[in-house]
Amino acid sequence: MTAVVETEGLTKFYGTRRGLEDLTLDIRPGEVFGYLGPNGAGKTTTIRLLLDVIRPTSGRATVFGASTRDPRVRARIGYLPGELALEGGERARDYLRFLAGVRGGVSRGRIDDLAERLDADLSVRMGRLSKGNKQKVGLIQAFMHEPELLILDEPTSGLDPLVQQEFLAMVREARTAGRTILMSSHVLAEVEHVADRVGIVRAGRLVAVEDIAALRERAVRHVELHFDAPVPREDFEGLPGVRDVTVQGASLRCTIDGRPDALVKAAARHTVVHLVSAEPDLEEIFLTYYSEEEARHAHAGA
Amino acid sequence: MPTLVRKTLGEYRRALIGWTVGLCAFLGMYISIYASMMKDPDTFTKQAIAKYPGALRDLMGGLSDIATGTGYLQAIAYQLLGPLLFTMCAVILGNRALAGPEEAKTLELTLTLPLDRRRLLLERWTALALGLLGVALVTLVVAAGASSAAGMGVPFGRILAAHTGLFLLVLFFGTLVLCVGAAFGRKQVALAVAGVWGVAGYIVETMGRSVDALSWLRWLTPVHYYLDGRPLYQGWPYGDYLVLLGATAVLLMTALLAFERRDVGV
Repeated sequence: MTAVVETEGLTKFYGTRRGLEDLTLDIRPGEVFGYLGPNGAGKTTTIRLLLDVIRPTSGRATVFGASTRDPRVRARIGYLPGELALEGGERARDYLRFLAGVRGGVSRGRIDDLAERLDADLSVRMGRLSKGNKQKVGLIQAFMHEPELLILDEPTSGLDPLVQQEFLAMVREARTAGRTILMSSHVLAEVEHVADRVGIVRAGRLVAVEDIAALRERAVRHVELHFDAPVPREDFEGLPGVRDVTVQGASLRCTIDGRPDALVKAAARHTVVHLVSAEPDLEEIFLTYYSEEEARHAHAGA
Repeated sequence: MPTLVRKTLGEYRRALIGWTVGLCAFLGMYISIYASMMKDPDTFTKQAIAKYPGALRDLMGGLSDIATGTGYLQAIAYQLLGPLLFTMCAVILGNRALAGPEEAKTLELTLTLPLDRRRLLLERWTALALGLLGVALVTLVVAAGASSAAGMGVPFGRILAAHTGLFLLVLFFGTLVLCVGAAFGRKQVALAVAGVWGVAGYIVETMGRSVDALSWLRWLTPVHYYLDGRPLYQGWPYGDYLVLLGATAVLLMTALLAFERRDVGV
């Protein structure tokens, strides 16, 4: 299967300031790719390179196997800019119709359906839209022509939680329909429930690309077990992947890295009355990447 | 009509109506004063005009024949104020073609439409040219109507020739602003370039014609090709108008090349 988005050594300098350096990345058909990093890390630079708004200093990027310079490629992309600006006296609906017209038409009722789902009022003049409503109009224009590739830059910013849920549902539906999605965010929590893979970019460099499933497996989990009688601490010491064991009478607390198998087998020798396992905190791993990277930079700088 | 041309004209609509109304009011009012001034011929006797400083008279195109219909129409409508106002309109609209939307960040989404940049720019420019043409046509009707009502006795053909020059001049400045905006994406830069070239050009053309050190500079100013042929007196200066058109075409080509290779919105 050929990649939907393919970049090789993609580099962008703004004068002497590094925007993005040596990005080599494939985004596969039908996947949801979460593109993560703090503000200013190079997420928007990457996205704008893919849409040919800016031109690379070196390296190359292709979308659907064609050069990003080819305007026909953009008919197959739905794009939500990170800094969406809408202004003027035009009504949101008329603007959406204009965009739809240039992209080759949108089925009747599609715009209204999306507006209803996101609870957006399209009769408002664009200059008067609130931040949240602007974002909704942005999402409608990105989704309305049912593009094969969705590129969404910080899609959930400005949306209230209910609309965020609806948006995530739209992303899942698009994936079910076989579409490919690249969405950026500066928080993992926003993408971890829909993304298949995440890439982490920092200071213009791609630091890691991870499978969400693998990340979850590697995640640190806090587990609490309650037994019907006090248990000896030695039974749980030295188990593979089990750390920080504390026993207090009949209850045990520990942290596990990866699979809980060894702990479950050890606990099975006693009578378990209650088990609490917190949802793995991916944010923690995510932050680990950052701090490692930071430590390395600090080291290199010293 | 291509979608983007229609859409751009829609964006220009209010400004176009405003400028058309303003220019028509200006032309209508000042031209109609002519009739009342002719009733009192003392206003513009040779002696009265001679009291103005020479430099001011140069700046206003001489004023020697302001007591005649043609001279008055030239001084009022086609010498300084008419072109100045209409050029301001063209400069403002020209800036709204690319540099304005780029600074407001609304251009980004337009750029990501499946249009190539060349087409985007050409359609924006076409809308600008059509808008200016619309203003020119309406103001032509008003200028011709008002001057015939005031009994100026200037043939329509001459007014048409002068007005065509006016349109070509403002199209040049509109295209200049669009071109600088396409190359740099900054409204202020475009405004500065057009302002300096326009004002300096006008001064060189009117006051510099008698200064040897400056007179060669006249060839570099678009105002020269607008004023020098004296269309209101002598009819169509085809050569000059072709130069204006050619310069506009060069600017448009430059804009296409510059916009094609630029990072937008950084």
